[in-house]
Amino acid sequence: MREANKGGWFQRRDILKWSAVAGVAAAGTTLLSGTMAFAQEGSLKGKRIGISTAGTDHFFDLQAYNAQIEEVKRLGGEPIAVDAGRNDGKLVSQLQTLIAQKPDAIVQLLGTVSVIDPWLKRARDAGIPVLTIDVGSSHSLNNSTSDNWGIGKDLALQLVSDIGGEGNIVVFNGFYGVTPCAIRYDQLVNVVKYYPKVKILQPELRDVIPNTVQDAFSQITAILNKYPEKGSIKAIWSAWDVPQLGATQALVAAGRTEIKTYGVDGSPEVLQLVADPKSPAAADVAQQPAELGRTAIRNVARLLAGETLPRETYVPALIANKANVGEVSKKLGIG
Amino acid sequence: MLAETAFVTPATPYHPGEEAAVPARSQIGLHAAKLGLQGGAFAVFALVLLIFALSSPIFLSPFNLGNILAQSAISGVLAIGLTVVIIAGGGNVVTGGIDLSLAANMGLSAAVYASLSQAGQPDAVAAGAALATGLVIGAVNAVAVTRFAIVPLLATLAVMNIVGGLELVLTQNTVIPAVTPLLETLSGAGPLGVPVLAYGLIGFALVTALAVQATPLGLRIQAVGSFPEAARASGLAVNRFVAGSFLFSGLSGGLAGIFSAAYLSGSTTGAGELLLPVVVTALLGPVFSRRLVPSITGTLLSALFVGVLINGFQLLNLSSTLVSGIQGLLILLVVSATTLLKRKEG
Repeated sequence: MREANKGGWFQRRDILKWSAVAGVAAAGTTLLSGTMAFAQEGSLKGKRIGISTAGTDHFFDLQAYNAQIEEVKRLGGEPIAVDAGRNDGKLVSQLQTLIAQKPDAIVQLLGTVSVIDPWLKRARDAGIPVLTIDVGSSHSLNNSTSDNWGIGKDLALQLVSDIGGEGNIVVFNGFYGVTPCAIRYDQLVNVVKYYPKVKILQPELRDVIPNTVQDAFSQITAILNKYPEKGSIKAIWSAWDVPQLGATQALVAAGRTEIKTYGVDGSPEVLQLVADPKSPAAADVAQQPAELGRTAIRNVARLLAGETLPRETYVPALIANKANVGEVSKKLGIG
Repeated sequence: MLAETAFVTPATPYHPGEEAAVPARSQIGLHAAKLGLQGGAFAVFALVLLIFALSSPIFLSPFNLGNILAQSAISGVLAIGLTVVIIAGGGNVVTGGIDLSLAANMGLSAAVYASLSQAGQPDAVAAGAALATGLVIGAVNAVAVTRFAIVPLLATLAVMNIVGGLELVLTQNTVIPAVTPLLETLSGAGPLGVPVLAYGLIGFALVTALAVQATPLGLRIQAVGSFPEAARASGLAVNRFVAGSFLFSGLSGGLAGIFSAAYLSGSTTGAGELLLPVVVTALLGPVFSRRLVPSITGTLLSALFVGVLINGFQLLNLSSTLVSGIQGLLILLVVSATTLLKRKEG
């Protein structure tokens, strides 16, 4: 009950915040239009912007990372971009060196909070503004993110509705330490709580990096052997869509296409599966990674121009299901 | 000047018959080649330092140099542990001394430290347990290699898998955050604003270098590795030294685990990825030594060389993916050059 309240409260708060932000922005535009055109567009002329990412091996990170670099260049700044290749040691080393380089701002894209947080704090202590994308750090001035509460809720509702409000679901929950994944998972739990006939099978599966697809494939194959009866599993949920890819392949390989899969991120290969009427991939919530990257950089420009930033900037996400996947793909500029 | 001194330098103590066996002219060529190789490595290092210093104003700042040392601390400690095993076990890549379990050891030790800290144990217990974990892994390697006479390459490969599995069981492949006074001290700055981990690496390297390169014990370790038959004939318990080298590398793994927990504020996944860079660092070490043999100081320089490259590339805003390419190229050069030299000598 408490959990459910929490989810609801956050959403209400978000709506309030959103309308407040929108109101202020609207007022600002009307008042200052014309005189402040330059600041509206933002400029990073002569600024060096540190761009640090946990990795670029997924569609999401790569899109967001490249979009940041492009946007910094477009606004006349110099990007210092470092990619940790999903290695925490490298990530910390690069942040450490970045702090020594004293850029005008650092934007951190993804990363395990407990690992990077002390270094984001050091950057702030050294007088460098820190912004983040999809990282819930208290040392970040502004976090550009998809509304993960919304994503989690949309995906969960689609799932319970697709399976008719009853049945067993298999869940990948290997990255609860990563804030967006935790929120999406919590939202699934919140929704499932009100459908007593829906059960999350225990133990939950742990998705891994690297070899996510192969690992998910073999874990799902093992689960299918454990539950050989059709109908004993209704759906497979994961907090992102790379495990979903492996799970979907395993279902096809085992001929268990009656089971549906759900994930998040809008990776092109998964959207293609959703578009295939015979594929068990039922839905994928597509974030707009490139838009997230551009938004973060525009926020840097606003900050350096003296504006105060909101704590979070939400970029809308789009749920792609069998019915609307073509439309969503078009919006994302894929296919 | 330098070349002349090299000609009059007598052959290395381990090759007493060398001069008689090899004709004078190729002898000179050999010396020149050796000198070129080792001088070349130092020259490349100096050139790299010069280029970075000229092109980035902050490269030579104490803050940045301290960062490089700290960033090299974990792989440096592991590579030094590995070097001791290579020295005691002999340099043959296939049958000689090698410890492939080091990176996994570091991961498990860090996980043990972080888990115990999370369970509310004080630093002394957690750190003691981490070091003990490393030592036990070293002991298992030692028994496998000396008692069961398994080739180190295979023995430590097996142990690596066991240790990696244990880490998965302990951490469930998740990040275990840890914040303790010890970790805060280690990840913070020491005297002169230089990171404590930098002092840690220098201190560890210094003590090990003195022990291995300037004591009778060290001489024996080198003798055991280079000439096991001769060492045995002169009454040295070869197996005991080999076992000792694995215990030492195990302990290095435990220490690196604590360093890693400090650097990453807990234990994280993917420790195994460090194995190849560490092996590469240790293999690159000989070019930074006087006689092109594995040495602690050579390995330290090699670790710092890699650290400087990575750091400098970032300062110059170049892709760090080039670093591994350069490393690979250097190793290929070094290995082929030393192999050629050895074939000529033999």
